[in-house]
Amino acid sequence: MDLFSNRHLNRRRFLQAALGAAGVSLVAACSSGAPAPKPAATAGAAPAGAAAPASGSTQGSLRIALFGSRSDADRRAALIPPFNKLYPNVKVEYTPIQGTDWEEFFSKVLTMKAANNAPDITFVATEGTQLFAGQGLALPLDDYVKRDQKDMAQYFSDVHPSLVEAMMYEGSLYELPIDFNVPNMYFNTSVLQSAGLEYPPADWTKDTFYDYAKKTAKKDSTGQTQAFGYQWVNRLWGSWLPWVFVNGSNLLTEERAPGGEWLWQAFYKDDKAATGRGGGWHWNAPKANDPANLEALDFMVQLLKEGVSAPVELGGGSQLQGFFSGGKLAMTPAGGFWAGGLHAAGMAADAFDVQFFPKWKSQRHQFGTAGYVIMKDARDKDLAWEYLKYLSGVEAMSIELNGNNSTPTRRSFMSAERYAPTGPKHWQVFYDTLEKNPDTAPIPAPPESNPMTTIFTKYSGLAMTQEMTPKAALDAMQKDLEALWAKRKK
Amino acid sequence: MTTVRVTAAPARQAGPRGWLMEDSLAGMARRRALLGYVFLLPTLLGILIFTAGPVIVSLGLSLFEWNVFDPPVFMALDNYQRFFSDSRILTGFTNTAKMVSLAVVIEMILAFALALGVQRTVRPALRYFFRSAYFLPLLTSAATISIVMAYMFHSQFGVINYYLGLVGVPRIPWLEQAQWALISVVLVYVWHRLGFTFIVFSGGLGNLPKEILEAADVDGATGWRRLWYIVLPMLSPSILFAAVTAIISGLQIFDEPFVMVKGGPGDATRTVVMLIYESAFKNIELGYAAAIAAMLFVVILLVTVIQFRISKALVFYQ
Repeated sequence: MDLFSNRHLNRRRFLQAALGAAGVSLVAACSSGAPAPKPAATAGAAPAGAAAPASGSTQGSLRIALFGSRSDADRRAALIPPFNKLYPNVKVEYTPIQGTDWEEFFSKVLTMKAANNAPDITFVATEGTQLFAGQGLALPLDDYVKRDQKDMAQYFSDVHPSLVEAMMYEGSLYELPIDFNVPNMYFNTSVLQSAGLEYPPADWTKDTFYDYAKKTAKKDSTGQTQAFGYQWVNRLWGSWLPWVFVNGSNLLTEERAPGGEWLWQAFYKDDKAATGRGGGWHWNAPKANDPANLEALDFMVQLLKEGVSAPVELGGGSQLQGFFSGGKLAMTPAGGFWAGGLHAAGMAADAFDVQFFPKWKSQRHQFGTAGYVIMKDARDKDLAWEYLKYLSGVEAMSIELNGNNSTPTRRSFMSAERYAPTGPKHWQVFYDTLEKNPDTAPIPAPPESNPMTTIFTKYSGLAMTQEMTPKAALDAMQKDLEALWAKRKK
Repeated sequence: MTTVRVTAAPARQAGPRGWLMEDSLAGMARRRALLGYVFLLPTLLGILIFTAGPVIVSLGLSLFEWNVFDPPVFMALDNYQRFFSDSRILTGFTNTAKMVSLAVVIEMILAFALALGVQRTVRPALRYFFRSAYFLPLLTSAATISIVMAYMFHSQFGVINYYLGLVGVPRIPWLEQAQWALISVVLVYVWHRLGFTFIVFSGGLGNLPKEILEAADVDGATGWRRLWYIVLPMLSPSILFAAVTAIISGLQIFDEPFVMVKGGPGDATRTVVMLIYESAFKNIELGYAAAIAAMLFVVILLVTVIQFRISKALVFYQ
């Protein structure tokens, strides 16, 4: 009997049909908030060498969570048309999520996951790589990378292995790094010049830095500070932690995770910089109160007490940027992202410059890098991989990283032409940090990165506001971190 | 012979429709009541879905351990046991209590003084301007206000210290020292919320019966005596309402300490709601966060009940 024929549709049949449809809808709604994933090969099951999906006939949609504002998402809308030339029937949507730091962004993505509304793809920085990988939120890309090895060779040949290693967890690759930032030392050139100081050499030391900081800090006749020599933002990346790194230490004990040979053999066989690399990083027992860390924090407090350094800033660093661009701050640790930021704040290309972080016991830098993960709940994982692959390409990266709001992971992107409109003059420093300081490593970012950062910033703040001595603050930090690590063991 | 025609009373129709449509006073009352419920329905549904529902789910969640990644594990009252042994909870409640005490006192006194000033000295046409002006901050997001205020309170380059410096006040470490950070947060919070309490008091003062005030004038009650014995008692329902809402709102303070100082220095401005946020979204312990939220709910309930009990003796209803 034809249900949709008026002739046969009486009230009883209509009610039966309506109740049936409602029941099916209810079951579907209860089972998942998202359409069921395609039964086609997932990354874990995809046979190596399997053909990529036919682009023209592929249909679907991808929702991408992005750390940024609506304007950041709008800027990335330019990424969609070239992708749609390959995949005309795929709808791509960027969902911007704002926050003062990565921790806040991850919190919001986890909230989306809790609400069964997780995106298909999420932009994740070092701070969250192990959180997403370790908690099974993200999909390992190994099988896709192996399958599309030929397509991916050009990308890996252009990207420093330290960045790739930072995106690995327990031997598997989770992201294709798109951008990175090393906390180098930024200078306000006019503040430097008015203090009679030159751009420092690459191997400048902590003592030279101290001299620069003292000479650039200026007070008026009433004792009111006109300009500070140095300031930093109280957060995990680029705070006082770079001083810990150059002092030969870390917040946590670190070791390379085993595995990853498949990737190094496939893509970095002849690259010396890849020698000795593993399958990611293990950040183990905390060592917050290590003597080298105490020495670094003591130095920060000393600068503060001497009036050389400004009080630390909480939040995203916008206040600090205002002081720097306004000529009230001489030096601060920042990454390549600041070139675009300072340009947007009205600073001329020659009004600021950048150099490596000063040498102490070493000149080992820290970095943070970011890329896209495919969420395990992604509706169409194959399609998500195609988008990731597209994003790692030259065309997409030039769209995504237009404006120097971050440092591209592709070294071929680093050029005088690229940095001419924004500065800085010594733009080579950004990538040279990786090339010339091969021991440079990612910030410590274990799966517990979120609560760990809260503990780190809390006690760093207490030391810098002189509510606690540096030693007491680091001892308390160590105690809290040990308690956090005890939960890991459970 | 006269025939008397007796008309039977309209028979009550069977079923609920008849009960409702009955042509009598009782039927009319029922129809009115039903209409009332129909009008109430959207609000009731809203409360059930968006308030009562989440509250019940949250209470249920407080009995589980849930990290989002794995299925929830039933823990009975473990989260509540942890609540009572967690030293940070005491810190959070102590900070919140300090902020609420300070904020409510400043807010009530300032709002009352402003409302009285505007009521007594400003021409009626200008009152609307002042009411709008004082209410304006309330329409701005607390996060935006907090960001701007963090600049203003900056110890070295902030305008507040600049102007204080002009009159010889030494530089105050507003956001850098524990006690000052708490005061800064409270000042910003009060500045943001003041307009609401101001409007409540303005409304209350505007509705005071003129005949009583005139009688007080005739009897020679002026100045403080008139304020203390006439105005304040008659304004007491408004004061109670303002105090209850101020305390409930204060116990939930989050935006200002979070944006301005991230709960610092140390834990100096870490409030209970910040602890809920951190437990839920930094430590990913949603069950424990729900338990803290449930306990905060109990505290707010207790404080409100106590306030109403006290108010029975102090509030004067006409």
